[in-house]
Amino acid sequence: MLVVEHLTKVYEDGTVALKDVSFTVEDGEFLVIIGLSGSGKSTLLRCINRLIEPTEGRIIWNGRDITQASENEMRQVRREIGMIFQHFNLVDRSSVLTNVLTGRLGYLPSWWSLINYFPEAEKRRALTALERVGIADKANNRADALSGGQKQRVGIARALMQDPKMILADEPVASLDPVLAHSILGYLEKLNQEQNITVLCSLHYLDLVQRYATKVIGLRDGRLVYEGNRTKIRNITDEEFKHIYGQEAQRLSVGG
Amino acid sequence: MTPEPNSSTLRPSWLQALLSLLLPGLGQAVGGALTRGFYILLSVVTLSGLAIFASAQRPRYPDYSLSFHVYLRFLLEAAALVVFLLAIYWLARRYALRSEFGRNAATPAFALFAIIVVAIAAPAMVDTVVTGEAAKKLYALTSLLTAIVVAAIWAWSVYDAAFVRGKERAPNTTPFYLLLIVGILILGTRIVQINPEKAIREYKDTGVILSRIVWPWKVAFDYSESQLVAEAKVQAPCPPDAKPPAVNQPQEGKPWVVVTPTCGNLSKRDSKGKLTYGTQLTIRGGGFVPNKKVHILWENPIGNAFTPRGFGPTDIQTGPDGTFSTKLYIPDVTIPTFAQGPQIHTLRVVQRGAAQFTGKLSKEMKLALQAMLESIMMGLMATAVGIVLSVPLSFLAARNLMNTLHTTTQGFVGGVIGLVGGAYLGKLVGDWLTPMFGGLEKAPILTFSVYVVLVLGLAILAYRLLSRALDSAAERLPAGLSLAIGIAGMALIGAGVGYALGIGYAHGILGITRGAEGALTAAPHTALLGAALGAALGAFWAWRLGTSSKIPIGQMVYAAVRLTLNIGRSIEPLIWAIMGVIWVGPGPFAGFIALTIHSVAALGKLYSEAIESIDPGPIEALQATGATRLQTIVYAVVPQVLPPFTAFTLYRWDINVRMSTIIGLVGGGGIGFLLIQWIHQFQYEQAGLAVWLITITVATLDFVSASIREKMV
Repeated sequence: MLVVEHLTKVYEDGTVALKDVSFTVEDGEFLVIIGLSGSGKSTLLRCINRLIEPTEGRIIWNGRDITQASENEMRQVRREIGMIFQHFNLVDRSSVLTNVLTGRLGYLPSWWSLINYFPEAEKRRALTALERVGIADKANNRADALSGGQKQRVGIARALMQDPKMILADEPVASLDPVLAHSILGYLEKLNQEQNITVLCSLHYLDLVQRYATKVIGLRDGRLVYEGNRTKIRNITDEEFKHIYGQEAQRLSVGG
Repeated sequence: MTPEPNSSTLRPSWLQALLSLLLPGLGQAVGGALTRGFYILLSVVTLSGLAIFASAQRPRYPDYSLSFHVYLRFLLEAAALVVFLLAIYWLARRYALRSEFGRNAATPAFALFAIIVVAIAAPAMVDTVVTGEAAKKLYALTSLLTAIVVAAIWAWSVYDAAFVRGKERAPNTTPFYLLLIVGILILGTRIVQINPEKAIREYKDTGVILSRIVWPWKVAFDYSESQLVAEAKVQAPCPPDAKPPAVNQPQEGKPWVVVTPTCGNLSKRDSKGKLTYGTQLTIRGGGFVPNKKVHILWENPIGNAFTPRGFGPTDIQTGPDGTFSTKLYIPDVTIPTFAQGPQIHTLRVVQRGAAQFTGKLSKEMKLALQAMLESIMMGLMATAVGIVLSVPLSFLAARNLMNTLHTTTQGFVGGVIGLVGGAYLGKLVGDWLTPMFGGLEKAPILTFSVYVVLVLGLAILAYRLLSRALDSAAERLPAGLSLAIGIAGMALIGAGVGYALGIGYAHGILGITRGAEGALTAAPHTALLGAALGAALGAFWAWRLGTSSKIPIGQMVYAAVRLTLNIGRSIEPLIWAIMGVIWVGPGPFAGFIALTIHSVAALGKLYSEAIESIDPGPIEALQATGATRLQTIVYAVVPQVLPPFTAFTLYRWDINVRMSTIIGLVGGGGIGFLLIQWIHQFQYEQAGLAVWLITITVATLDFVSASIREKMV
């Protein structure tokens, strides 16, 4: 279970990205974070694995306050939390297999990296992960030879290598076309349902949110302005919608 | 967008124009454009000052200096000229040229007219001040031209000042900057002593030498020289009891020479240089190649041979039968008073045959090839070692990697104390250990390595242990106590740094004014003062940071490494080579050291900039997986920087080989060393060989590295 309590992030230039955000995510939840660009979605996700240091507040993951964890302890925490990104964040010049293998680094001795050594078992694990996302045949291609949808699947495979208990997905389909968006979110949903991996995902399009979310929180200017379960988000009112997205917002559909 | 202020609608301010007439820029300043006024004044003062200064510093013409008064006179004359030209321009635009075409043509036509006027007027104006050498006039001319530019700027500033209204600066500044550039270029021409006249006049004299450098290949090979030689002995002076050498007899099938008499008196030159001829010798010879010159040499009793010019013909044509005859006075050889016994000289007749091409490389060519190889290897080694040393440094000098590194005050205190203490401990252990196997004198490399391993190893170990211990202690201890630890520790570090700076101040700064002794007496006081100040500052900083804040240790390391790299890079390899020669003596090793230092600095900077420009996404992704810093660097940074690193390395290799060819000029070994020696000995062909080899090597390398780079990208 993930508990976020009074989370606040103020950047060095004084920007308040998050203001007193509190919510709870049960294990196995598919939580979608909605809000405009700049509303604090990315900051919130990065605060959870402390890629960004929160200014105030606590994040309790399975009963442990990870805002107090030391650098080493934080690494242990991070390997249980996979992350996928809008721009995939693959190393373009490395092979797909190597990109997937890097997901396992948290479990391997640091100095092995100096001689670029991965045990055979890990390579098999990486191939299995690639099979699960359907691109095992691309294992030896360079990452920059893949299409956007394939890259994001590599991103998911990399996260799978961590044996994650939770996946943070920062607008995972914002760079993809609608068909691919459903495909990628479908993989996340499968992991969520079959392996009970908690998913925290930020999304833009309301119909995607309504299709996949089991729980939704809405951010506006760094504040939590909406919280609802699957039923509530599927029956979201115009008033609620405008409360999250502003008065001038129009509902847009991604289609498909 | 605000509309362009139109000068025709703006009323000119006559007061501001007048002020700028008195002092350029003053009108602008009064009109509210302070910076603009300052720049105008600065440019007028600088151009004038340079014109006067540059002419005062003419060592080649000590009798000639263009004084302030002369410049002032030039400036007044120039002002008159500029006003005259501007008046004509104004009149032309106003009255003469009313058509569209005329107005368009006015400015270029005027520019041409102005150039012609200046070209005619300037030499005449110079003539009234400077007489004599053409070069002097050229220098005076640049002063005058500068004065014309200054006058033009001045005139423009008057015009400009009339229209300045605070932020509304009506006329544009293009003329000002154009004039400024022209003025600087004119002065530059003089200061650099650019003299086309000289270049044209003197180019003929270089032809002979230049042709030897341009096509030196004759000296690249050995030639066998056949020569026919015949000798005869002559005794001189000829004492009464002399037993002169026997007269030669003509021989068949061999070159021969017969000299009579074989005993005679030396020519004498008195103290005033007047020559009295000695005995005249009759010389007959034969057996030489017909119809070809023979050369006569005189060898004195101690074996020095010379051509006895002025005592008779020394180059004689042989007849069709290969014989010749001539007469020669015995030359004025100085015989030392302590010389004993009969003084026997040798007359030698030499006939050179045609030089035969042997196809073998000459000694010089072999030397040059050897030295070239030395240069190429020097560049290669410097690049290789440069890569090894600069790669780790470049990561420390990459802002994006280092900015994320922070430590608590307590961790920092522990780290610094650990680092210094560990290093000192390492030195102590080394002092105790190294005498066992001979010390620095007997086993320098082993001893040095042991020291490096001990000092670095213990320093890093103690750094990690202490910084972690204090860091975690700070979290567990009560806030007040850990703050106290931080303050005390930072005060201690501050005191240490301040102490060192105090001593440095005493010897480095006070030593200049008070001498070494004064510095020695002052040192304890300045050290104490420095320590006290440092402690106070350190404590204050720690107090300000408190317990939770973080010290940007990464940025500190980044700044220190960057500074070191910048210093290393801004000192040219040739200067490093001089230091290398002082350190290890002349030779390729010194050059290698110089190139390595410069390569490390240059590559370190290039590499670190490559690291700074990578995509941060993969780093973030790997951090999110729980990878360590090392793993993140290996799997997210290295793949991204590999192509730029390769390109920069090739580029550096290119530079290093090119530098290695001239590093020898200052004793750094390689072909440059040979080149400078040959130049100093006026052996221009050999120097030409070196230049050719350098050119071939550099061009080849250029081609190779370019094609490798092309393949890489």
